[in-house]
Amino acid sequence: MSETVRVIGDTLPGADFNAPLLEVDDLRVEFRVRGQRIPAVRGASFTLEQGRTLAVVGESGSGKSVTSQAIMGILDTPPATITGGAVRLHGVDLLEQSEETRREVRGNHIAIVFQDALSALNPLWSVGFQIGELFRVHRGTSRKDAKLKAVELLDQVGIPDAKNRVGDYPHQFSGGMRQRVMIAMALALDPEVLIADEPTTALDVTVQAQIMRLLKRIQAERNMGLILITHDLGVVADVADEVAVMYAGEVVERAGIRDAFKRPAHPYTKALLRAIPRVDTVGQELEVIRGLPPNPAKLPGGCPFHPRCFAAEDKCATEVPPWIEPAEFHGSRCHFAEEVYTDER
Amino acid sequence: MGRYVIRRILQALLTLGIVLFLLHYLMALSVQIRGNPALLFFGGDRTPDPAMLEQVERLYNLDNSCYERVGDPCITPFVERLQDYVQGDLGTTLNGNRDVAQLLSIYIPNTLRLFVFSVITLVAVSMVLGTWAARHRGRFIDHTVRGTTILADSIPVFLILLSYVYIVAVPLTRWARGIWGTESFMGQVFRPNYNPDYPWTTIIIPGIIVGTVGLATMTRLIRASQLENLGSDFVRTARAKGLKPMRITIVHVIRNSMIPIVTGIGFLFAFMLSGAVLTEGVMGIPGMGRMIFQAVQRQEGNLVIVGLTVSAFVVVFVSLIVDLLYAALDPRIRYE
Repeated sequence: MSETVRVIGDTLPGADFNAPLLEVDDLRVEFRVRGQRIPAVRGASFTLEQGRTLAVVGESGSGKSVTSQAIMGILDTPPATITGGAVRLHGVDLLEQSEETRREVRGNHIAIVFQDALSALNPLWSVGFQIGELFRVHRGTSRKDAKLKAVELLDQVGIPDAKNRVGDYPHQFSGGMRQRVMIAMALALDPEVLIADEPTTALDVTVQAQIMRLLKRIQAERNMGLILITHDLGVVADVADEVAVMYAGEVVERAGIRDAFKRPAHPYTKALLRAIPRVDTVGQELEVIRGLPPNPAKLPGGCPFHPRCFAAEDKCATEVPPWIEPAEFHGSRCHFAEEVYTDER
Repeated sequence: MGRYVIRRILQALLTLGIVLFLLHYLMALSVQIRGNPALLFFGGDRTPDPAMLEQVERLYNLDNSCYERVGDPCITPFVERLQDYVQGDLGTTLNGNRDVAQLLSIYIPNTLRLFVFSVITLVAVSMVLGTWAARHRGRFIDHTVRGTTILADSIPVFLILLSYVYIVAVPLTRWARGIWGTESFMGQVFRPNYNPDYPWTTIIIPGIIVGTVGLATMTRLIRASQLENLGSDFVRTARAKGLKPMRITIVHVIRNSMIPIVTGIGFLFAFMLSGAVLTEGVMGIPGMGRMIFQAVQRQEGNLVIVGLTVSAFVVVFVSLIVDLLYAALDPRIRYE
């Protein structure tokens, strides 16, 4: 697609191609508000390999978006501070890089698609300008060539008549088309990792499916690693290879998609799956998870899920559960992971 | 875009027409209620010869019988006056028979100079302070900037003017003349009054003083709009694209925060007209503000109408420019 072969080491010194594509290791993020420290992410860990899709699932406030912004390095600091952990891209810890290197990584290596394309695009510049800006800033492309590249990208993401629409402004596109523009912008520099932060939440159901299909197609074409952040388990089922379930700022379960759906090893995941309406449960009352997500400023002791958990016992309120792997590539942060996995609880 | 421009121009013309008619109607009412200003020509209480009075009335376009009927809108003289304006005839003053067009050619440039300096002051100072405060939001600098501008704004212009003229100007001028001489820029710039030999230099300080009117409003407007854009989703997108902070500010923040700023300038322009009346009076600048004020005092009906027409024209013209700037800045307005 591009005329010149890009050498990843140019923009990411020290890249090791035997290391996993993206590794998030015990990432911790805090918000400091009025002298109070509020943990938003409390040890998120997951790995993403090339050509794979990782779904990060969780309720609002579970730290999924903060995690993605920490990976991009675009958290507002202050109030947010990364207090620990590592984000390794090709084995290079991004958190230890200079701001200049991190800027090169953004767009070139990792790109992000936000939820609401209408507010995520600048209303005063044409979509062609906003896509072309990446080429002009990172590659020094001329304004004219950048526009041609933008047309090419808009065409790839399925915008009809891209040539004539490149000069249009975000408000002249429909919601689905705007999200396609966002995706085109993220793809511009051919990144290895694409983070899609609730890419379909703001869209109609029919358009949602189109956008998901588009993301999946592009990921396969380019052999990218895709992180799909969502609160909707239903969206995840068809597209993801692996799932990381987040609760109260930590990853509570990590598994292959089939395993996670068939044999969840964390009560939270299990409860979430039961809350999805299915054809065979028509007419029955839908199960819900009782209670509310915890306030991150006042997390319950022990396992933060215990007040809402169906399997909780006394020790859940006092002891922080360890990471247990009841099967290969399947881990859960629950005292009773084995029992939940084997459906004894 | 073309339709938008045409519609805005037509709106501006309509507004101007309404303002002109209201002005005319007010003047007609004042003649109808208060009495014939042509009598002034004969010096107050004396009853003039009817033939002579008629002659004077004709001279001042007061010979229409509508001026004797209270509430009559006097359409015929209004149309006649508009026709005269179109032909470039702005009439004469009541006494001395001076040509009003000629008077304007002296007064308008002075007021424009005053506005040039005050707009530059207003925009430059509020841009710097507003951006500075936005960047240090909630900290000491932010509070200081907001407090100081409110303080500057709450002191009436005439107080600033009087304290400048009577306390600061004279010693400063004396000091500057001792070093640079009377005929230098520095020797003239601090003068407490206008000097026709230095029309630009001696208007700088009054211009700056008029520019402090609305400083707080403008600074707050800029601060708020920059804060709004700095925290916006598209700035986050711009950061995710790996742009440098400088480029983000220039390309993605400043243009987006220009709209309220342009609105503010257009709005404050009308305010500055009133500031100009005081400033021109105190500093002895022969400008439009002083002309209108004196014309009202002397019952110079024609001069008042012409003066207010000019200021109405300026205000309508500035709002037209503001509207066109909107369209240039924001595509969403262009394609409404």
